[in-house]
This record gives sequence, C-alpha cells and structure tokens, in this order.
Amino acid sequence: MNTYYAANLLIYAGVDIIAVLALNLQFGVSGIVNFSFIVFQAAGAYAAAVLSMPPHTAAEYSFQVYVGGYQLPFPIPWIGGALAGALLAIPVGLVVLRKLRSDYQAIALLVTSIIANTVINNARPFLNGAAGLALIPQPLQDQVDTYGDSYLYLYIGLTAVCVGLVWFLAARIVNSPYGRTLRAMREHELAATALGKNPVALKMTMFIVGGAIAGLSGAILVGFLTVWAPSTWLYPETIILFAALIVGGRGNNLGAILGALLVPVGFEEVTRLLIRMNIGPPNLIPALEWVAIGLFILGFLWFRPEGVRPEPRRVFEGSPDVEVVDRVRTA
Amino acid sequence: MLVAEDVHRHFEGMHAVDGVSLEVPRGQITGLIGPNGAGKSTFMAVVAGTLPASSGTILFEGEDITRLPTYRRARRGLVRTFQLPSEFARLTVLENLLVAAPQNRGDSLFGALMGKRFWIKDEERLVTEARGLLKRFGMSAKESDYAGLMSGGQKRLIEIMRALMLHPRCLLLDEPMSGVHPRVIEQIQHYLQSLRADGLTILMVEHELHLVEQLCDSVFVMAQGKLIGSGTMASLRRQREIVDAYLVG
Repeated sequence: MNTYYAANLLIYAGVDIIAVLALNLQFGVSGIVNFSFIVFQAAGAYAAAVLSMPPHTAAEYSFQVYVGGYQLPFPIPWIGGALAGALLAIPVGLVVLRKLRSDYQAIALLVTSIIANTVINNARPFLNGAAGLALIPQPLQDQVDTYGDSYLYLYIGLTAVCVGLVWFLAARIVNSPYGRTLRAMREHELAATALGKNPVALKMTMFIVGGAIAGLSGAILVGFLTVWAPSTWLYPETIILFAALIVGGRGNNLGAILGALLVPVGFEEVTRLLIRMNIGPPNLIPALEWVAIGLFILGFLWFRPEGVRPEPRRVFEGSPDVEVVDRVRTA
Repeated sequence: MLVAEDVHRHFEGMHAVDGVSLEVPRGQITGLIGPNGAGKSTFMAVVAGTLPASSGTILFEGEDITRLPTYRRARRGLVRTFQLPSEFARLTVLENLLVAAPQNRGDSLFGALMGKRFWIKDEERLVTEARGLLKRFGMSAKESDYAGLMSGGQKRLIEIMRALMLHPRCLLLDEPMSGVHPRVIEQIQHYLQSLRADGLTILMVEHELHLVEQLCDSVFVMAQGKLIGSGTMASLRRQREIVDAYLVG
C-alpha cells in the first residue's frame, strides 16, 4: 500500500466521518430527513474553491469561468466553506422546515438537491457548469511543498483535527439536555411542542449546524482533490451517507463513525479491489455497488434497524436496579 | 382562569367547534363531555394551540392567547396531554420527564456547547424533582426503562408527570383514563384530586361519566360542535335535552 493510497483512504474516511456526524445530528438525533445533505457539502467545497482560487481572468485559470476568486490564505477557505454551508441552510430551512410535515420535508429536500445540481450544471458563468472547477489551490501550498509525502501527512493531520473538533461539538450536543430535547422532538414533535419546545427553532438550529459541518467536509475534500464538479455531488451521494448512518447506528456518534468507515470508505475500497480482479464486464462492479448499498440499507432496516451501535439508553446515577429491557425496535 | 369566547373551528365547511364559550374556574377540575364527534378534542386542541381557531378568543389569566403558538402557551403554564399516548418512546421514563423541565441551562445550543459543568447543577436539581414525581406516582422502579415499553396506563401517568414538570397553572387532559386498567384509573383519579388540592386548575375531556361525576366540580356538555349545557353532573342529569343528546342511561 503506497503512501498516497493510504492518505487518500484516511482523508476520505475523515471527510465521511465529519459528514456522517453532521447527518447524525440532523437525522439521527433530530429526525430531519435531509435528503439534500450533499448540497451543503458541495456549497462548502465551491466556497472554499472560489475563496482560494485567483480570479478566472488569471492566465492559468482562464479556461474556466466562476464568480469570486479571492486567493485567500488557509484556513479562511475552510472557514468560508463551513460558513457557506450554514448560510445556505438558512433559506432552505426557512422554506422547507417551517410549514411542511416531516415526510414532505424529505421530498422537498430531495427535490432541492436535484434542482441545485441541475442549476449549477447548466449555469456555466457561475461555477463553470458541468465541467466544474479545476486547479483549486491546496491549503498552505505557498508555504510547503505539496508533492511530497510530508504534505500528505500534514493534510491527514489537518483533517484529523477537524474530525476531532466536529466529534467534540457533536458529543457535547448529543449528551446534553439540548440533545435530549432534540431526541424528544424526533420521537413526537407535537408532544414536544406541547411541552414548550419550539420545533422550528430546534430544526433550524440543527439544519444550520449540520450545514456548517457539511460545508467544512466539502472544503476539506476539495482542498485535497483540487477539482470539484456537479458530477461529484449527485443526490445518490446523500443516500450513501444515510446508509452509513443507518448501518452504524442512528443517534450514536460512535455508530456514525463506524458507519462512515463501513459504507462509503469500505464499499469504495472493496469495489476498487473487485474492479482490479476483472470480474465480469467493465461496469458491472460499480453498478453492483449501488445494488449492494441498497440491499445493505434494506437489510439493516429489516433485521437491525437500530444499526451496529444503537443509540445508548441513558441511565442516570442513582437509578434503582432495572431489568434489562429490549430495545425499542423501529423500522 | 381560562376563558373561551365564541370559539369556532371549521374544517372545509364542517363546523367541528361552533361558537363555544366557557370559563374554567381556578383551582377546580372542570369536565368536558359529549358524544363521539362532538368536537371536544378539537376544542381542547384549539385551546392548547395545536389547532388554530377559525374565529373567537381564548383568554388565559386575563391575557389574549388566541394567536400564540402552542409552545408559548405551554411556557405560560397552559399544558395539554393527548387523547392517544404521546410518550417519547426511545427516551427513558426519567428522560421523558426531564425533557419537559424548563430552566435547564443545558437546554440550548449555547448551553450544550459550554459542556457539562455549565448545566450539571440544573440537571441534578431536575433529576431530583423528577424522581419525586416518579415516587409520588409509584413509578420509581421504571425510571430507566424506555417509555415506549410501558403499558397504556403507565404511558398516561408519564404524560401527566411530564406535564407537571412544567409547573403548569392549567392542565388540559384529553381522556386521561382511556384504555387504562381500572386499578390505574383509581390511581389517576387519586392523583388528580391531590393536584386539585395543590391548587392546580384542570380541564378534562372524559367519557366515563361516573369518573366525571366523582372528579369534576362542574361540567360542560358539547354536541355537534356546540355547548349544550353546563353545571354539576347531578344537575345535568335533570336536563331532558342533555339526557336525550348524550346521557342516555
């Protein structure tokens, strides 16, 4: 296993862990079925790109057109990516989360994802359309050599710091009384409202927090890939993240991490190995990957809906001895 | 304490609540009875804010709350329970109570991010309070069990305890005895009486007339969306049109 391959694997794992932790806050804990999650990752990636790239009139960049081009130093593009995700969440959340019932919210968010991708694909002057952006500067590329292994280690380190930060924030939210209120809203929104909780405010907050984290994950990814195009954030990418969370365990941060390692990272690597083994026609394995992911989701929803690491039961200090209760199984 | 003035609620031409005016006196248990489809639960939902009124006014403690959303009414002390069990299934019984508790510094994004040290004192105080309620309602042994695994009667008790954690000034109970074992009904009845003794105001929809008779200081009768009578159960039984409409037998 060469260093680049290992670094690639670790950075993808970090990005996926960050993304699934954000989705856990939204879907696992708060019950928001955000089928447009990938749009917020894409917003962060595009924001980080145009914040770090020079204007498209610059000699080397004149083959593409895009707005912005500010050449801002690291870490501003990553912060900008997170901000872009958060800012985008405000109008989308206000339209979708205020009036609609949760099942219609899911449909509206899926449609939003498709519309956003189609618009960016076709509006070339905005972010270079279907061809996407290329030659996106890497973090600190003016200060360090980006071609050596040491840069890969640096990038892994930066990603790990972000994973740690997101994990810390997510853990504080999930394990607090606020996290308990979010879980109550997920279980029975009307009852939570009747107890003085404002569901729109709660959902909007988690939509924005999740949007910021998704944006950060996009910024990290684009800084590593140096390219970004609409084909990289089609709506099925969101389904993979949902699969990761369902498999890992909704409502459990550890489950989210486990799911991120098992589904997006694990599946991709297994697929890569199978392709190398030349099994069947050239496109058979990638096509079967989607079938396998679909079956994986269905299998878990049917046989183990709580995932590999279920949401823990919170037992308070001083609790009388309790008999072990069965898990509440919900499909 | 709680006043409804000419409250209407229409659903696409159907008058579920049709000009209901009533007053719930402070510190009493007031019953709301009527046949199925009379509009009782709809009226309760309108009072609690879970359904907006088509027209009319609702006053709580002298203030007009007609346009206030449900959560704001709850924060003012007007708290409802539901006709169907509405427990937070994958939260433990104790957590169900803690969710309702106001004034926990950890119950905001800022508080959560500040960490446990910021809110642990509030949490400990509220756990003690919730355990006091669990003890009073005989459910201490169940505190760490998932609420979704409780029996129908226990879920009713959880709902009532949860509402009490909010320190309500007026409790709206929608069929609190429905689907509950007779022994638990006796318990709930006993608790409601003790809550009244504590000075809590209660408006209660209930189908079991003998319970209404035992519990309620005064009773309103609804039929086809309208209020058709009020008084004590004994006096209502003497009014022929009410007996014909509802109190048959």
